Amino acid sequence: MRARKLLALGSAVVALGLVGACGGDDDEPSNEPAADATAEAGGTIKVGFLSDCEGAFGSFFEPTIAGFNLGLIKNAGGTAGGEKPSDGVTGAKVAGKDIEVVGYGCADGTADKAIEETRRLMEQEDADVLVGPLSGDEGIAVANYAKEHPDKTFINGIAGAQDSTLKVQAPNFYRFHPDGAQWSAGLGDYAFNELGWKKAAIIGDDYSFPYTSLAGFVAEYCAIGGQIPKRVWAPLGEKDYSSFISQIPKDVDGLYVGIGGSGLITFLKQYQEQRGKIDTQKMMGNIFWDDPLVLKEVGKSLVGGITSGMTAADADNPEVATYIDGLKTAYGEEISGTGPSVFTYGYYTAANGLIRGLEAAEGDVAKLQESLTSVELTGDDAPWGDVTLDDNRQAISSVYVKKIVPDKTGDGVPDVETFRKINDVDQTFGGFFSPDSPELSRSNPKCEKSDAPPWVGNAEEVSFGQ
Amino acid sequence: MIAHGRNAWLLLAAVVLVAALAPFVFSEFFVSVILTKALWLGVAAASLTFLSAYGGMVSLAQVGIYGVAGMAYANLVLADGGNAAAWAPWPAVLGALLIATAVGLGFGAIASRSEGIYFLMITLAFSVLIFYFFSQVTSLSGFGGVNNLDLPGLVGEPVQDPAPLYYTTLVVSVLVFVGLRYASRTPFGLALQGLRDEPARMRALGFDVTRHRMLAFGLAAFVAAIAGLLSVWYNRRISPGSINLAQTIDVLIIAVVGGLYRLEGAWVGALVYALLDNYSREYTPEIGNVLGPGRFNTVIGIVFLVIVLLSPGGLVGLWESGRERLARRRPGGGSPRNAVGAGSEGDPATSGAN
Repeated sequence: MRARKLLALGSAVVALGLVGACGGDDDEPSNEPAADATAEAGGTIKVGFLSDCEGAFGSFFEPTIAGFNLGLIKNAGGTAGGEKPSDGVTGAKVAGKDIEVVGYGCADGTADKAIEETRRLMEQEDADVLVGPLSGDEGIAVANYAKEHPDKTFINGIAGAQDSTLKVQAPNFYRFHPDGAQWSAGLGDYAFNELGWKKAAIIGDDYSFPYTSLAGFVAEYCAIGGQIPKRVWAPLGEKDYSSFISQIPKDVDGLYVGIGGSGLITFLKQYQEQRGKIDTQKMMGNIFWDDPLVLKEVGKSLVGGITSGMTAADADNPEVATYIDGLKTAYGEEISGTGPSVFTYGYYTAANGLIRGLEAAEGDVAKLQESLTSVELTGDDAPWGDVTLDDNRQAISSVYVKKIVPDKTGDGVPDVETFRKINDVDQTFGGFFSPDSPELSRSNPKCEKSDAPPWVGNAEEVSFGQ
Repeated sequence: MIAHGRNAWLLLAAVVLVAALAPFVFSEFFVSVILTKALWLGVAAASLTFLSAYGGMVSLAQVGIYGVAGMAYANLVLADGGNAAAWAPWPAVLGALLIATAVGLGFGAIASRSEGIYFLMITLAFSVLIFYFFSQVTSLSGFGGVNNLDLPGLVGEPVQDPAPLYYTTLVVSVLVFVGLRYASRTPFGLALQGLRDEPARMRALGFDVTRHRMLAFGLAAFVAAIAGLLSVWYNRRISPGSINLAQTIDVLIIAVVGGLYRLEGAWVGALVYALLDNYSREYTPEIGNVLGPGRFNTVIGIVFLVIVLLSPGGLVGLWESGRERLARRRPGGGSPRNAVGAGSEGDPATSGAN
C-alpha cells in the first residue's frame, strides 16, 4: 500500500520533469533555423528586456518598456503591438535584420531575481543582447554575469550604481546614461560658491544608491573646499526620522538630503515639525526632489530649493518635444507624462545605443560589441544631451541643475525651472573616482580638498520657456 | 519511507536514477535554473518541514539561518565585496556550517520556550533581524552584495557546465532526506514526536521539553545551513535581498504546497515552485486588463491557493487522498483505509494532519 503511494509520488516527479522537458524542447527547434539564417542575409537579432515589475520600482515596469519600445519605433521602423507597452513591438528592423524582443523580463529589485531573469532571457530564450536592468544592485550583478558570458552583449537599462561600470568593468557591458553620482554634478559647486556653504551635513537612506548619489555631491563639494562634519544614514523604509533629524548638527551652513521616495515626504514633514520652516538656502536635495509626487505633497515648502538630474522636464528644445510626442502617439498621455522620468529616458537611450551599434556593425551581432564602443548618441537619439562612452563603456553626458519654483501651470503644484546645464559630466569626476578608489559607503568617499571636477565654474546657464 | 521496506528504497533509487539522467536529457538552463534550484530550495524547505512534521514547530527562521550560512561562506572565501578572508572553500564550508548551526541553536534556545503563533512570530523576528543585520553591516554584505564567490573544485564552473553542481546538490538532497528520516526514527526523533503531541505528558515522563526542542531546532538549522551553502554556490553571490522577507515567505509556501507533514513534500513543492516561477512569466494567458505575463504572480497565487484549498496536506497529501478515494470507489481495488489506523506509530501524515 505504502509502496503504491510512493510509486504515485515517483511518477508525479517524473511527470513534472517531462512537463519541463517539453518546455525546454519547444525552444530548440525554433532556435536552430534562426541561427542558420543569421549567417546569411536577413535573419533575426534576439533582444531580451529586463526591468522590475515587482518590488519598490514595480510601478515603473510599463514606463521603462515604453522608453525602450519608442527607440525601436522611431529608429528601427517598429510598430507598437498594442495599447500597453508590454504588448510589444512588431516589424522592427535594423540593417536588414529583424529585431525580436524575446521577452519583457521582470525582476523585483533584488540581484538574485535579476540574475534569474537574465538567465531565462539569455539562456532559455537565447537572446543575443540584454537591455536592462533597472536598479543599482541588479546592475552590479548583471555586469558580473556579463563578464562570464563574453559572447553576449549587455546594455544597462537605468541601474545607477557606479560600480557596475567603474569597478566590474565587464568588456561587454555598456551604459548609455550617467550613473547616480553623475546625476549630482553641479550641486557641490552651487552649494559652495553660490549659497556659501563652508560646512555641510548630509543625510541619506542607508543603501547603495544613496551612497552613490551622495558621493557625487561629496566629491565635488569637498574638492573645492567644503567640509562635511556629519553624515547621517537612516534605514531604507524608515517611518520615523525624528531621531535622525536630531543627529543633524545645527552649526552647519547647509544640509544635503539624499532620502528617496515616500521616506522623503515623511522626512520633510518631520523636519519642519522639529526644526521649523525649511530654509531652501540651507537645504538641497538629490534626484528625488522634483519627483511629481514629492512636489505635490510637500513641494510648497521646497520652493527655492535646488536639485539636479539628467533630464529637465521644462526643456524646450525640439528634440525633447519630439521624444514626448513620440511617447504620446504610441502610448497616450499617461505614459508620455513619464517621459522626463529617468526610468523611461534611460531605457530609451539604451534602445538607441543598441540600434546605432547594430547599424555600425551592419547587423552582425559578432561585431556589435566593438561598434558599440564608438557609438555617439546625438539629436533625437538623446534629446537631453549628447552621449559618448568612456573607456569603461560608461556614458559621458549632460546633467541639469534645477530650482523648484512656485506654481506656474495653475495646478496648485510647484514647478521646476532649469537654470544650468553641465556638459560632459564623466563618471570619474575628473579623476577623483577610479577603479581603485575605496568602495562607496557610509564614510566613503572621504571629504578632501583636491582638483575640482572640470565643470566647476564652466556650467552653461540655460533658461527654458521664458 | 525508508523505514517501510525494500520497495521504498527501490523507489527512492528510481527517483534518484531518473534525476541523475536529467543532464543528458534537458537543456543546461533547465538543469540549472529549474532542477538545481528546486533541489536546494527543497533542502531549505525540508528543514522547515522536519520541524513542523516531527516537532510541531512551524519556523520562519530557516531563511535567516541559511542566510547566516551563505553570508558566512561569502565572507570567508575569496570574493568581490564583503570581508573576503580568502580561506580555501572547504574550511569556509565548515566554518559557515558551524556558525549557522550555532546561531540556530541560540535562536532555538529562545524560541523553543514558546509555541504556536508566538513561535511563528519569534522565528519571523529572527529572519527579519538577520536581514536587517546584513543590510546595515555593509562591511559584511558589501556594496551591492558579495559577488563572484570562490567555489569548491567539486562543483566546477556552474556557468560553463551546470552538471557537477547539479549532482552535488542531488547527492546532498538525498543525504538530507535520508538523514532526516533516520533522525525521526531514533529515540531522539520519537521523543520529539511525543513532545509535539503531548508536551505535558512527556514532561511528566522526565523529558526536558525545552532542551529537546532546542536540539531539534539546531538540527534543522544545520540542514538550513546546508541549503544556504548550496544557494550561494548556485547564485555565486549573496546580498541582503537574497534573504529578505519575500524569500522567507517563498520557502514557507514551498513547504506548505508540498505538504508540511511529509519530508518528500519539500522537494515536490520546490519543483512546482521553480517551474511555476519560471514558466508563468511567459505563459500567463492574456485576459483583458486582469491577467497577462506582467501579472504572473496572480497565477502563482491562484495555483497555490487551489492546492492548499483542495488539500491541506499539500501536493503529497493530494496524492494520498486521491489514491484513497480511488480505492474506496473500487471495492476490489484495495481495502478502504481507516484514517487513523493506516498511520503507523510515528507517521506524521496522520497525526500531524489531525
